[in-house]
Amino acid sequence: MTGWVAANLISVLNGLAIGALLFVLAVGLSLVFGMMDVLNLAHGALFVVGAYVAAALTGGSASWGAFLGALGLAAVIGLLAGGLLSVMTEPLRRRSHLDQALLTLGVALIVAELLQILFGDDPLAVPAPPGLDGSTSIFGAAYPTYRLVLIGVGAVLAVGVWLLVERTTLGALVRATVADRDMVAAIGVDNRRVKITVFALGSLLATVAGVLGGPVYGASVGLDSTVLILALVVVVIGGLGSVRGALVGALVIGQIESLGRALLPDLASFVLFGALALVLVVRPRGLFGGRSGATA
Amino acid sequence: MTDVSRPAGVTDNVVGGTAPVAEPGRRRSPLTIAVVTVVVLVLAAAPLFLAPFATTTLTRLLLFGLLAVSLDLLVGVTGLPSLGHAAYFGAGAYAAGWVSVHVTAAIPVPLLAGAAMGAVAAAATGWVAVRSAGVYFLMLTLAIGEILAQLAQSWDSVTGGANGLSGIPAARLGGEPLLNAGYLYWYVLVVGLVAFALVWLLARSPFGAALRGIRDNEPRMRAIGYPTVVYKYAAFVAAGTVAGAAGSLLAAQQRLVTPSDLGFTTAALVLLAVVIGGAGTLWGPVVGAAVVILVRDALGPGLGGHGELLLGIVFVLVVYLLPRGAAGLAGLRPFRRRRP
Amino acid sequence: MAEFTLSRRTLLTLFGAAAATPVLAACGSSVGGGSTGSTGDDATGPVKVGLVIPQSGVYAALGTDMQRGWDLWLSQHDKKIGGRDVTTIVADEGENPQSGVPAVQRVLQADQVDVVVGLVNSATALGAAPVVSEAKKLLVVTNAGAADITGKARTPYVWRTSFQNAQVAAAAGPYLAQQNVQGGVFLIAPDYAAGTEVRAGFKAAYEAAGGKIAGEAAPPFGTTQDYQPFLSQIRQSGAGAVFCFFAGAEAVRFVQQYAQFGLKDTVPLYGSGFLTEGGVLTAQGAAAVGVKTSLFYTDRLDNPANRAFVDAYRGAYQAVPTCYSVSTWDAAAVLDRALGKATGLDGDSLSAALDGVGAIDDSPRGSWTFDGQNPRQTMYLRTVEGTPGALYNAVTADLGQKAQV
Repeated sequence: MTGWVAANLISVLNGLAIGALLFVLAVGLSLVFGMMDVLNLAHGALFVVGAYVAAALTGGSASWGAFLGALGLAAVIGLLAGGLLSVMTEPLRRRSHLDQALLTLGVALIVAELLQILFGDDPLAVPAPPGLDGSTSIFGAAYPTYRLVLIGVGAVLAVGVWLLVERTTLGALVRATVADRDMVAAIGVDNRRVKITVFALGSLLATVAGVLGGPVYGASVGLDSTVLILALVVVVIGGLGSVRGALVGALVIGQIESLGRALLPDLASFVLFGALALVLVVRPRGLFGGRSGATA
Repeated sequence: MTDVSRPAGVTDNVVGGTAPVAEPGRRRSPLTIAVVTVVVLVLAAAPLFLAPFATTTLTRLLLFGLLAVSLDLLVGVTGLPSLGHAAYFGAGAYAAGWVSVHVTAAIPVPLLAGAAMGAVAAAATGWVAVRSAGVYFLMLTLAIGEILAQLAQSWDSVTGGANGLSGIPAARLGGEPLLNAGYLYWYVLVVGLVAFALVWLLARSPFGAALRGIRDNEPRMRAIGYPTVVYKYAAFVAAGTVAGAAGSLLAAQQRLVTPSDLGFTTAALVLLAVVIGGAGTLWGPVVGAAVVILVRDALGPGLGGHGELLLGIVFVLVVYLLPRGAAGLAGLRPFRRRRP
Repeated sequence: MAEFTLSRRTLLTLFGAAAATPVLAACGSSVGGGSTGSTGDDATGPVKVGLVIPQSGVYAALGTDMQRGWDLWLSQHDKKIGGRDVTTIVADEGENPQSGVPAVQRVLQADQVDVVVGLVNSATALGAAPVVSEAKKLLVVTNAGAADITGKARTPYVWRTSFQNAQVAAAAGPYLAQQNVQGGVFLIAPDYAAGTEVRAGFKAAYEAAGGKIAGEAAPPFGTTQDYQPFLSQIRQSGAGAVFCFFAGAEAVRFVQQYAQFGLKDTVPLYGSGFLTEGGVLTAQGAAAVGVKTSLFYTDRLDNPANRAFVDAYRGAYQAVPTCYSVSTWDAAAVLDRALGKATGLDGDSLSAALDGVGAIDDSPRGSWTFDGQNPRQTMYLRTVEGTPGALYNAVTADLGQKAQV
């Protein structure tokens, strides 16, 4: 019995690690949508770009320099890609979400194909940096040290994003834009500049999540759509356009993917979308989808 | 086609007094009738001039076109962007395939079984879906579609699991199997034209006018006494029925049904086909489906593995080079954010 | 706005027409008698082969190996099969039957090939079977492992030079039973058809030899990034060993996480050979060392045919061959024998000729024969050895000849 409890506590812990990663991944998607009303289906492709950057730089020999270099390079790529995506979606501003979906999914297909041409067809692994690549004993069982660190990194990033949105001028603009974009434009703020900034930061978080997730997920063809769907589920469960929603959604999905599969192994293939359907039936606008993003 | 255009033209204004947004009462011009006649004649004559592979591709194009039309009833006419519509297509395909294997492949039994299964599946899941809207509707339908696809994957004894339901016999007409690509094409063409006409009539009917009213301003429709949820539910089931019928055509053409026919990729491609073609016009999505199927099935296999790259480039180009068609994309207004 | 609508449609139609041109170029009629192959029946005329392999999607790496096996055989045999000049038309199978079946139709109907070779995905192979049967053309499957392809859904026109899923897994059953694993073996494979076949095949063979299954798990296929819940289950089951089936990115993640969660040193990991075959082994790195798998091939096999094959393959591609290369190489080898004897290029003649090819005694995998339409071949137990960057599957034991189960 204690073995059963301990095993499930490890699943809970593991759910936290996965949830932390999902939060970093999804919060950008949520803000870009909630704020700028852009449904960015290239978000999963950005994550995979980060994963491949990590695989390319750390391939073969794991070192802190390579890992931190990958984080830096992925961050720069994310900023640039986000800015580019923002400019690309600008002409679509007054068009429907479906047109944005068409554009961004087209971009995602192109990026995925270019990555495959560039890095080959074989799946690649990303080693954790030295010192974190071992295991730590928890409840008498080995647990990968890197995942423990991931929980901490996710928590720090969550606090950082929260402070940015709640405590800075930029954050105030972001929140105001979510609430009423036209009003913000009317008081003389250049909407496009805010949009580019948010888009760039959101994309940066996605590529950084790709590097951070590398030692867990690796880099492979087809990972982009899996990750995109996970991020969409997180964002929708939490409610669009809210940092708190993305955090809760990520933690919920982390537990469902971990504890849920451990407790219901026979239904493992159904729990993710079953949970999504359940949440949307009970709360058709997500857990924290108040007025913002509700009519989206 | 020519004979259905006149009654539709008449019904256009019938409900003009009650529904706030009836379609403008245009009568079909002789030119339109001529164009439709020529298109139907060309389609009917196609197998006489085309090589078998071209005919096979055209067959797939027509049945995916019908799926896109059924989805347009939701997306363009009712304003419900579904990312799970392939589920009803696949459910119909499995039903038609199963009936063909275990009961009879005689037309129209598999067709009716497919349509019925599409209707049942849509009726069973639609009541949940139509309560939400916009992106939440998109995600809820995605979840429903993925759950049904997983069910198809897990329910080995009936669906054959990931290997798919294979060994589906050729559809039979009057005891003769339709093995020839041309005859199969004509079967799909006839079913496709009839189903298209039915959807078109539905969209032009008072019911269709009410759906467009819901699309443009649901609170107002509710205020003047329309039970909008019932209307949306009915549209969802109708679209599911037609998708199921299209699925039965897939079973007849592909002779194999797999979980990927229900899954996210198919659902997304069909939704994008509707967007590419211009939502709300019913026939535009057929053109959109044609583009997607041509790129994926006909050109893709010969591109050394770069079919997806071409598809991505086509998507991006369509967005920029072909600005939204007025009639179609006006229908997406409710999907865009509305402010109080 | 009205003009916009019109121009959008017009442009689309024009685009559609442009895209359609290459497809429709081959005009003719689809009505009337069935179309016939391109080449005549004279015994030395050219032969046209459609090589349908994944060039895109998650299986693309396998497609590369398959094409190399095919090209290498041709380049070593003067570009002739059975004395006939060969034209190869390559088509992209993609990931699933939605792209795979049209690709088969394309080479058959548009390119008018005489023989189709390839196919990774089992559902695609099952979907292609009626297509080739009705065209009365031969299909040689060089990977797809579903039992039904050469079993329940058998047609005389579909032959397989690779393996059956359960055949590979079953070979390891008696071996593990002999090891007398304390606590029994835990069985884990993805929740889809091939995974189910592997679990059933291993379980039947292992239990028949007196083994005890400690538990089973079926992680969701294609969407499982994290195996922790299942690894916990393994730990709790008290199993003394694990038998698994994973391929591609899933194989990399499973083997790495198996090590990260500390199971590698306490519970030995066994599996179907695809777990550590080809590019995935490089990515798995140190985590894979010591993993034991059953398969019909490893590039370390010590026989003259394999030594020559591996040398030539290395020379041509600077890479080591995989079981995927060998299956496709052998497809060329059996076609060479069959075409030499067949009276024509139609499926019936070729199928009859394949029935009598006898032992393929010069195959890199060792001598094998067709048993039904699937190989009866020697299975090997392989152990991953070497250091990261230079890992390989060493031969540990000969598991004996196995036919389809």
